[in-house]
Amino acid sequence: MLRIQNLSKTYPSGTQALKNVSFDVQDGEFMVVIGLSGSGKSTLLRCINRLIDPTEGKILWDDVDITAAPPAELRQIRRKIGMVFQQFNLVKRSSVMTNVLSGRLGYANPWMSLIGLWSADEKKRAIDALDRVGIADKAGERADALSGGQQQRVGVARALMQEPKLILADEPVASLDPVLSHSILQYLEQLNKEGITVICSLHFLDLVHRYATRVVALKDGVIVFEGSAQEIDRAKFKEIYGEEAQEVRAASL
Amino acid sequence: MARKRRKSAPPACETAMTASSKPTISALPAALLSALLPGLGQFSARQRYRGVSIFIGFLILTMMTLWYADPRWYFSPVLVWLWNIWDAARQARSQKNGFLLPVLVGLIAAYGIGWQVLQIDFSTADMNRATHILRPMLRPDFIQERRETNEMWVEIFVPCGTDVPTARHEMDGKVAIATPDCAAVLETVIVNVSGMWPNAETEILWETPIGNARMLGGNEDAMLVQNTDENGSLTVLIHVPSLALAGAPDPTLSLGHRVYFNQHRPIGGYELSFVGGEVLKGALVTIAMALMATLFAIILAIPISFLAARNLMSGNPVTMAVYVVVRTLLNILRSIEALIIAFIFVKIVGLGPFAGMLALAFHSVAALAKLYSEVIEGIDPGPIEAIRATGANWVQVVRYGVIPQIVPPFTAFTIYRWDINVRSATIVGFVGGGGIGFLLIELIRISDMRGVSAVFITIAVIVIALDYFSAKVRERLV
Ligand SMILES: Nc1ncnc2c1ncn2[C@@H]1O[C@H](COP(=O)(O)OP(=O)(O)OP(=O)(O)O)[C@@H](O)[C@H]1O
Ligand SMILES: [Mg+2]
Repeated sequence: MLRIQNLSKTYPSGTQALKNVSFDVQDGEFMVVIGLSGSGKSTLLRCINRLIDPTEGKILWDDVDITAAPPAELRQIRRKIGMVFQQFNLVKRSSVMTNVLSGRLGYANPWMSLIGLWSADEKKRAIDALDRVGIADKAGERADALSGGQQQRVGVARALMQEPKLILADEPVASLDPVLSHSILQYLEQLNKEGITVICSLHFLDLVHRYATRVVALKDGVIVFEGSAQEIDRAKFKEIYGEEAQEVRAASL
Repeated sequence: MARKRRKSAPPACETAMTASSKPTISALPAALLSALLPGLGQFSARQRYRGVSIFIGFLILTMMTLWYADPRWYFSPVLVWLWNIWDAARQARSQKNGFLLPVLVGLIAAYGIGWQVLQIDFSTADMNRATHILRPMLRPDFIQERRETNEMWVEIFVPCGTDVPTARHEMDGKVAIATPDCAAVLETVIVNVSGMWPNAETEILWETPIGNARMLGGNEDAMLVQNTDENGSLTVLIHVPSLALAGAPDPTLSLGHRVYFNQHRPIGGYELSFVGGEVLKGALVTIAMALMATLFAIILAIPISFLAARNLMSGNPVTMAVYVVVRTLLNILRSIEALIIAFIFVKIVGLGPFAGMLALAFHSVAALAKLYSEVIEGIDPGPIEAIRATGANWVQVVRYGVIPQIVPPFTAFTIYRWDINVRSATIVGFVGGGGIGFLLIELIRISDMRGVSAVFITIAVIVIALDYFSAKVRERLV
């Protein structure tokens, strides 16, 4: 179980991105985080694997305090948390294979990995991961030769290499068209069904309804809603997205 | 210069201003003011920019003509001054007025004066001279027929001193004699050689004691060539070359100079000519010089580039200050041509490729560091973040997140720099930096136009080949 307790983040610039955020995520949940742009979704997800250090508060994962973990322990924790990004964040000039293998860095022999040597087992794992997302044939290509949807599948495969117990997905489909969006989210859903907890930020409510087992809504760094997707009625919607955004958002539903 | 005026106050802008603000002065006083001080009338008529521009333009034009001090151009400021008076009156009456006349006058003056300053004189381009220079260039001196040489010499003392030995030399059945045994510069000497190959062209050449060759034909600018008779003998009258003592430590000292007789005959096949060999050697030196300079530059430029990368240094005021200082230094260094740096290094370490290499390295450090730092600034933080998120340690993040992003562009820029350095290396050679450039200057000095053309061709081939190669590599990397 992941417990987020009184989490606050103030950037050096003075922006307070998260204000006293607390919620729990049970194992096996598909938790979706929604909120307007700038509401703090990315900040929240990055705090969980400490790509960003929170200013205050605690994150407990199976009673281990992530926020207090020293560097070596933090790396052990991170390798169990896969992450998928809106911009895919692949190394564009590297091959698909190398990108996927890099998901294994937390497990690999550090010296071997530095000279780019990977064991046969790790290579097989990478091919299997690519196979799961249906692009094993692209292993040798440069990452930037792939389409957006394919790149995000590589992103998912990279996360799979970590044998994660938790996947953080920060707007994983915001750069993709609706059809691709569903295919990527279906992979995440599949993984979720296999027991991996997923925390995912999303923009479109139809996707939220379709995939979320639970929803947390942020507004200006504060949790304004926590519950199931079905509970988001017109009033709640207004509260989360504001009066003006209503029509735009409603139109996209 | 007149154009400048137009830029700062385009006519279109003037009309707009005229419409909006009413002049406060009538035509006559405005004209008088402008007669007194160009632009003042316009200025008083609320045409501030126009007034100031006219004043500055008039000043520049006047100074230019006075500096050149050619009375033929004095008309131009006068014309502009007159126009300015007329313009002031028109401005005071809110009438539109263009800038055509003064701009035209200014341009004509600038053009005319420029023409004279540059001493443009097409009549000096003499067709005969051009042919004389260019014809040998059609036969670049790369390869020659393989041939054997029959060489003979006799020693003559210049100038005369006491105890001058007899100017007679015997060797392999050949005899060469000079009469008299000694002579002063420009005096006549009769030389005779026998026992050479019969009926063969013989080059006759002067060599000073310090090893400088002087030609004896034409006005000492062409090889003297004579034929031997059927017995292999030859007698010819020569003048001691005017430059026989040039470069001699003590021109009054009587020393032995040699007159050489060289015969050649083909023995079939071709070989690299002497100059061709030198050209190839020079080309190798130049490429190596550029390569070494680039390697040295890389070693220094990489650490410097990190200091010059804004995204790495903007964290706190101290590093930011370092960034600003490093960037400024790089910009200053980069603006100094390698050629100029070469002059300085030639003074410090002496003539030769080492000086050239240092100069190129110096310039390249600045250029590469700037390019590298831009690559670093352009690193996508996304993949780095993604790799950190997998639990990778610091070194692994650099290896998998940073290096793949910077190595290809670094390599591309470096090869590009090497390419540039090869070109610069030829130029740097001109001032003593060694390599093919140095050879070129030497060949031009001795008017060996066939050698010069061999150098031209070699440089062209190298540059084109390297250009192609570096473009190909960059295409693959970027
Ligand atoms: N590195 C940073 N430095 C300073 N301020 C930041 C930084 N990253 C985010 N912020 C600010 O923190 C707030 C929350 O940003 P965050 O990226 O978490 O929002 P978000 O909900 O993910 O938005 P989006 O939907 O646009 O991705 C915003 O006001 C943003 O400007
Ligand atoms: Mg975000």
